[in-house]
Amino acid sequence: MDIFANLAHGFAVALTPINLLMCLIGALVGTLVGVLPGIGTIATVAMLLPITFGLPPVGALIMLAGIYYGAQYGGSTTSILVNIPGEATSVVTAIDGHQMAKQGRAGPALAIAAIGSFFAGCVATVLIAVLGAPLTKLALAFGPAEYFSLMVLGLIFAVVLAKGSVLKAIAMIVFGLLLSMVGSDIETGASRMAFNIPELADGLGFATVAMGVFGFAEIIRNLDAGAEMNRDLVQQKITGLMPTRKDLKDSAPAILRGTALGSILGILPGGGAVIASFAAYTLEKKLAKDPKRFGRGAIEGVAAPESANNAAAQTSFIPLLTLGIPPNAVMALMVGAMTIHGIVPGPQVMQKQPDLVWGMIASMWIGNLMLIIINLPLVGIWVRLLRVPYRLMFPSIVIFCAIGIYSVNNAPVDVILAGVFGLVGYWLIKHDFEPAPLLLGMVLGPLMEENLRRALLISRGDWSVFLSRPLSAVLLAISAALLLLTVLPALRSKRDEVFTESEN
Amino acid sequence: MADTMGHSAAATRNTSMALGFCLLAIAPQIFEFIWSIGTIFGWGAGRGPATVVINHATALLAGAPGALIGAASGDSKKASSEVLLALIYSYPLFAVAILTLFVTIRSAQDYVGGVILMALALFALWASSDLQGMRGFSFGAGTAPRMFGALLVALSAGIALTGLLTDGPAMAHYAWRGPMFVMAAILFFALAIRPLGVVVTAFASFMIAATGSHETRWLEAAIVGACLTLGCAILFPYVLGLPMPMFPRFLQ
Repeated sequence: MDIFANLAHGFAVALTPINLLMCLIGALVGTLVGVLPGIGTIATVAMLLPITFGLPPVGALIMLAGIYYGAQYGGSTTSILVNIPGEATSVVTAIDGHQMAKQGRAGPALAIAAIGSFFAGCVATVLIAVLGAPLTKLALAFGPAEYFSLMVLGLIFAVVLAKGSVLKAIAMIVFGLLLSMVGSDIETGASRMAFNIPELADGLGFATVAMGVFGFAEIIRNLDAGAEMNRDLVQQKITGLMPTRKDLKDSAPAILRGTALGSILGILPGGGAVIASFAAYTLEKKLAKDPKRFGRGAIEGVAAPESANNAAAQTSFIPLLTLGIPPNAVMALMVGAMTIHGIVPGPQVMQKQPDLVWGMIASMWIGNLMLIIINLPLVGIWVRLLRVPYRLMFPSIVIFCAIGIYSVNNAPVDVILAGVFGLVGYWLIKHDFEPAPLLLGMVLGPLMEENLRRALLISRGDWSVFLSRPLSAVLLAISAALLLLTVLPALRSKRDEVFTESEN
Repeated sequence: MADTMGHSAAATRNTSMALGFCLLAIAPQIFEFIWSIGTIFGWGAGRGPATVVINHATALLAGAPGALIGAASGDSKKASSEVLLALIYSYPLFAVAILTLFVTIRSAQDYVGGVILMALALFALWASSDLQGMRGFSFGAGTAPRMFGALLVALSAGIALTGLLTDGPAMAHYAWRGPMFVMAAILFFALAIRPLGVVVTAFASFMIAATGSHETRWLEAAIVGACLTLGCAILFPYVLGLPMPMFPRFLQ
């Protein structure tokens, strides 16, 4: 069996001391970021991109991946104990998790969250290993027209899954596409929208924009929300980590369903961990015999979303590794990390860089094992971290971000640009525009334009090529259907319901 | 009575909003003017402030209408960049500003958001107007930016329209203290990192950023700032090997 040989090779790579260390660092940093509210995964990965310069590529990617799924673990801790989600992915966990903590069952809640995450992580790891090779073969059948259509589908998914107005989400994507066009044109080399500013000739750095819109903008927003968030930390000592037999019996099916749902939503372009946790919670509530228990400390309400977000965080690597298309903003930063090391993500990565791909997959399983140790026995340390007041945390984050951006290109202008995008991000938040689709548009922009131009060049300017090639036509049809469904009023209200769940 | 009061309040609101949009319509011109003041002192290259003002004023008042008439009579002389800016960016926004006076805004958040986004899209259209378009059936450098720029104009117009047709939230409250000091810290960092080095810059930026919150306790902030600076000074240049000046240039 190929898969076993590949996985064995992967473990051989992942178990080297340097990679084990990278995995541990990634998991630790991820947990830290997840636990601390007000600093997100995207900003952290962007912040740590320059750090990976000095590392070997495999170690660098193992560390960055660890941060992403580690944050999913850490986020649950804050949700359960403080009722403030540490990460956007743990928003729904707070609903039932914090209720359990108030009833003195914080231990079992934390344990179930960790067990669910671990199980989901294991399943997702196997899934990546199994699906990787066949999807790569499929990718080889893709021409420029199919790639373009696939990216359209991904962007439409991002619209459907974004909360709030569909029009605004599409506008954000197009805004992102426009931003991606600043700089030199790939084909002609003409300088576009750069106003003769030499620093813009290379285009707007993706990490710069991400750090501005997700890092600085978040800080500014938190500041005017009244920096000292009300943290009603559950003060009593956490006793009895072990869940009872009944807890396990109740949560087992929820974990299974959450894992399945999360894995699917993670693979879909435009999806990701946030939507997976929301969807899993809603599903549990719909399936439950007694939905009234939800919101009053139902253990399924912790188990399902936590499994789902972890599964989705890991399966979202599949489109990146097989098709070279980042399905969400964090994966887009991973593309950045790969290109720093001269690796072009795409179908050929699997063949050309087996060390990287299989090493990373194997490291995910190892990382999950580490995380369960980091999170359960050491939970007390993380709780203590929550007592660090925001007034000290935010200037530190500002400085760290600034040094991080500066060191990407050694360019002070990048820092100013990130600041400007921080203000843009603040403005976007104030007008209820979502920044995530903007970032996705910006990432997919160059790929989309290149494939669009290539497809039209091959077809000699005939636009019908997107409909006459069957695979491309199917992808576009799905996108159109999705968009239509979203605009239909009946479904719209359902979709809004999913998102308002967290607020009541 | 209360009804008329409410009406007049809404009217003043619209006037100030329209004035704001007018300002937005000439924002690039104002920006270039401020930028050009630097040339008096010999900073940067470019046109002097007087030339900038005269060029833009003639473009706004005379050049653009002239170009419009010229285009109508089939004159295909290439318009200058100032005239294009007035035509593509400023005039549509003036039109929106005038329109604002006559409508009832039901969701200021959507309306203003849509209009500002439209301004960005129009600006992008202008910025890509000097690029080559389609050559036969192959895309030129300017085709895609113009395509997406036009799409964004349409979408943002749709958003603004939503703000007129459906009820929604009013403008959100903007704080000034947090954004100002955080931006000041970032700006200071960018300007000081080269000449002053990591140690001075990181600590000073930390203190500037800390001013952004009214809960800051100075002694505590200074201690944490010093520790953070020390950590950064060890982590980035030594552990990670990133080239960065440590101390001010004049000390070395």
